[in-house]
Amino acid sequence: MAGRGRGRGQNVSFNIEQLGFGRGEAVPVSVTQPPPLFPTLENRPLPLIKDVEYEYILVTQKDLNTRMRNSSFHLNTAIEIKEIQQYSDKIHSPSYEKELPVLWNRMPTELKKSMTKKLTITKLKTVKSGKKKKTEDPDKIFAKLEKKEIVESEDGKEDEDEKEKSDDEKVEVEDDVEEEIDEEMDEGTDYASNYFDNGEGYLDEDDNLDEGEAQF
Amino acid sequence: MPPFTLGHFSQVCCQLLNHYFGEIVGQVGAYLLRRGHRPLFDIPCATGLSIAEVKKALAVMIQHNLVKFEASERNNNIAEYSIIHHNVYCLLRYPKYLYMIKRIYGTSEEILLEILLNLGQASASNVIFQSANRLKEANDDSEFSDPSALHKSFLKLAQDNFIIRCPKLADNANIQKVPTLEVEEKEKFTVPHLEIGPIAKLLKENATQLGEHGDSEVIWRVNHERFDVELRNVILVNAAARRVDATAGELYHLILKLWRECSNPDSPTTNALSFNVIKDAVRKNEGSSPVLLEHFEQYLRVLYEDTSSLIIKVGDAGGGQFVLNYSTVFENLACATLDSIVLERFGSKALRLFRLTRIQKFMEQDQMQNIAMIPAKEAKMFTYKLLEHNFLQIKELKKGTSNFAPVKSFILFHVDLPQVARTALEASYKGLFNAMVRQMHDLTDNKRLLDKHARLETLLETLRGEGLPEDELAYLSDSMTAAEKSLVSRIHSMNDHLTLGQTQADDTILILESYLKFSSMT
Repeated sequence: MAGRGRGRGQNVSFNIEQLGFGRGEAVPVSVTQPPPLFPTLENRPLPLIKDVEYEYILVTQKDLNTRMRNSSFHLNTAIEIKEIQQYSDKIHSPSYEKELPVLWNRMPTELKKSMTKKLTITKLKTVKSGKKKKTEDPDKIFAKLEKKEIVESEDGKEDEDEKEKSDDEKVEVEDDVEEEIDEEMDEGTDYASNYFDNGEGYLDEDDNLDEGEAQF
Repeated sequence: MPPFTLGHFSQVCCQLLNHYFGEIVGQVGAYLLRRGHRPLFDIPCATGLSIAEVKKALAVMIQHNLVKFEASERNNNIAEYSIIHHNVYCLLRYPKYLYMIKRIYGTSEEILLEILLNLGQASASNVIFQSANRLKEANDDSEFSDPSALHKSFLKLAQDNFIIRCPKLADNANIQKVPTLEVEEKEKFTVPHLEIGPIAKLLKENATQLGEHGDSEVIWRVNHERFDVELRNVILVNAAARRVDATAGELYHLILKLWRECSNPDSPTTNALSFNVIKDAVRKNEGSSPVLLEHFEQYLRVLYEDTSSLIIKVGDAGGGQFVLNYSTVFENLACATLDSIVLERFGSKALRLFRLTRIQKFMEQDQMQNIAMIPAKEAKMFTYKLLEHNFLQIKELKKGTSNFAPVKSFILFHVDLPQVARTALEASYKGLFNAMVRQMHDLTDNKRLLDKHARLETLLETLRGEGLPEDELAYLSDSMTAAEKSLVSRIHSMNDHLTLGQTQADDTILILESYLKFSSMT
C-alpha cells in the first residue's frame, strides 16, 4: 500500500467528499458505547387491525386461557413444603396416574411408575439386606405384641424377618402406605426401637437375650 | 433456566409452554429445546426439579403432541425425548384454528375442535361425549343434545383432514418398555364405527366420564399441517381481495379449493387447472355472487395478469391452463411485507431505495441516488441506515490495477432476500416474545387487584340475579374505588392490545416462514 506510514492522513484510499461530507463540515462523532437498550421510536407504529375476526380471536383466546389454566394438565409449581408433615398427607396422596387424564398405555413405562410404590419396594429391600440399623416391620410389631401377650420373651430379629418375609410380600401391596410411615417414623430416631424393654422380660430366661442387638 | 441462552424462536416456545401448562412444563420444555434428544434421567439433574414432576411434565407434553419419544439406540428400555418445535409454536395459533373452523363449518365443529385441543389426544367417542356435555352446559338446559349430530360433524372434520389419527400401538407394544407407534398411511383419516347409543345414554344420566368404549384404541389429534395450509390460503385469498376486490377474493378461494383437490399438498407448484374446469365450478357453486357469475372471465383475467403471480397462466389448452407457484407468490408477499416494514421504520425515501435495490439487484451508491431521485446526502444517510439494520448488503469488487495506486474497489449494494427475511423473522419472534413477557408481567403484578375485581363482578352478578335492589349493588360496587376500577380497565385494554399484537405478529411470521420454506424447496 503506497503511503503507508508516511504522512498520516495524506494518502488515504478514500476521500472525505465521497462519504458525503463537504469540506470543512464536521465528521460525526464516533460511537463509544453500545446502543441504548430501549432506543427511542422515531416513527409511531401503525395501529393494530381491529375487525370482526380479531375480536373473535381475542374472546376465544381469553376463553382458551382460562380453560387451559384450570385444566388438570396445567401443572403448578406443585409441591409446597409443608412445615408440619401431616400423617394424613401420606395416606391421602393419590398416585398421580389417576390425577392426570393422560393416555398412559401410549407412553414409555418409565413415566408410569408412581413414586410411592417405588419407595416401599426399595426400603423393604434394604431392610431385608440386613442393615445394621434395626428397623421394624409392622407385621413384626404385631407379631411381637401378640407374642408378648403370650410369651414374655423377645425373639431375635433375623428369625422373624425370615418368617415374615412371605407375609410381608403379601401385605406390602395393601399396606404400602402404612409400612412407609412406620419405617420412616422409626428411622427418625437414633435409638434402636426395640431397645426399650418394658421390664416384663426381667428375671426370665437368661439365654434368650436379644441376639445381635446393638447395645447403645 | 435462564432464557437468554435460547434463540428467539425457542424463547417464544418456552413462554407458550409456561403460559398454557405451568412452570414445571416450561422448565422441562426449555431444557429439551436447548438439548435436543434426552433420556429421562438427564432432566431432573439439569433442571433441579424432582423426578415425579419431570415425569408428569413429560406425560402432559406427550399427550399434547409437543414431545415425542423414541427408544434410545443404546438401550431399548429407555426412551429419549425431544420437542416438536412446530407444534409448540402452533399453541399460539389455537384461537385462529377455532375461528377458521367456525367460519368454514359451524359451532358444533368448533366445539369438537376445542375439546380435542384441550385433551391433546383423544378417542372419537370421548371427544363427542365431552362436546355434548359442553353444549349442555352452555345451553344451560337438561334437554339432551343429540350426539349423532356431533358424530356427523366429527366425520366432516376427518374427511377434510383437519383431524388425523395418531399412530397406533404396535402389536408387541405391551411388552416393550418403550412402545413403538406405527403409522398407517391409508387409515389416517378413516373414522371407525362408533356406537352412539351408549354415549347418548350416559349423557342422559349426566355422567362426567366416558367409561370403556369400543374405539378407545383409535386416538385422534389435530392436524397442524392442514391448518397451516388453510392459514396460508386465507392469506392468499385476502391478498387477492385486497389487490382487486372482494369478488376476486371469492373466485380465488374457489380456485384454491380446486387446486387443492387436484394436486399434491407437498409440491411447491400445483397442477394445472383448465379454464373450463374453473368455469364449471363457478357455475355449480351455490354460494357465488351474481357478480362473479357474470364477470368471472374478466376477474380471472385480471388475476392472472396481475404481477403478484397469484395465478400464472402456463398454457392455452382447454381455454387456458392455470397454475399456482407457491414460491413466487410467497416471495412477492414477503417482499411486500419487508417493504412495509422498511416504510414504517425509515420512511418512504428509504423505501424507494430499498425497492430499487431489490428490483435492480446490484447497484452502486451513485446510481441509486440518481435513479431514485433523492438528494445525495439523504440518499447516503438512508443507505447506510438500511445497511446498519441489515436490510441492504454490500458486495465489494476490487479492481486492482497497479501496485502503486491505492486499490479502487466498487461497492455494490444488493438485497439478499432470504437473509433479510430471516432478520425480519427473528425480529418478529423477539417482538412476540416481548409482548408475551410484558403481558405476563402485567397480569402477575396486578394479580391481587384483578382477582378482587373478578370476585366483585361475580358477586354483583349473582346478587343481581337474586334480585337485590340497585342501591345495595351500588354500595357493594363502591368497595372498589374509581381509581382502582380505571386501573383495572386499563390493564384489560393493555392485555387485549398485547394479545392482538401477538396474533398479528404471527401473521407476519407465517408469511415470512412460508417464503423461507418454499424458497428452500425449489
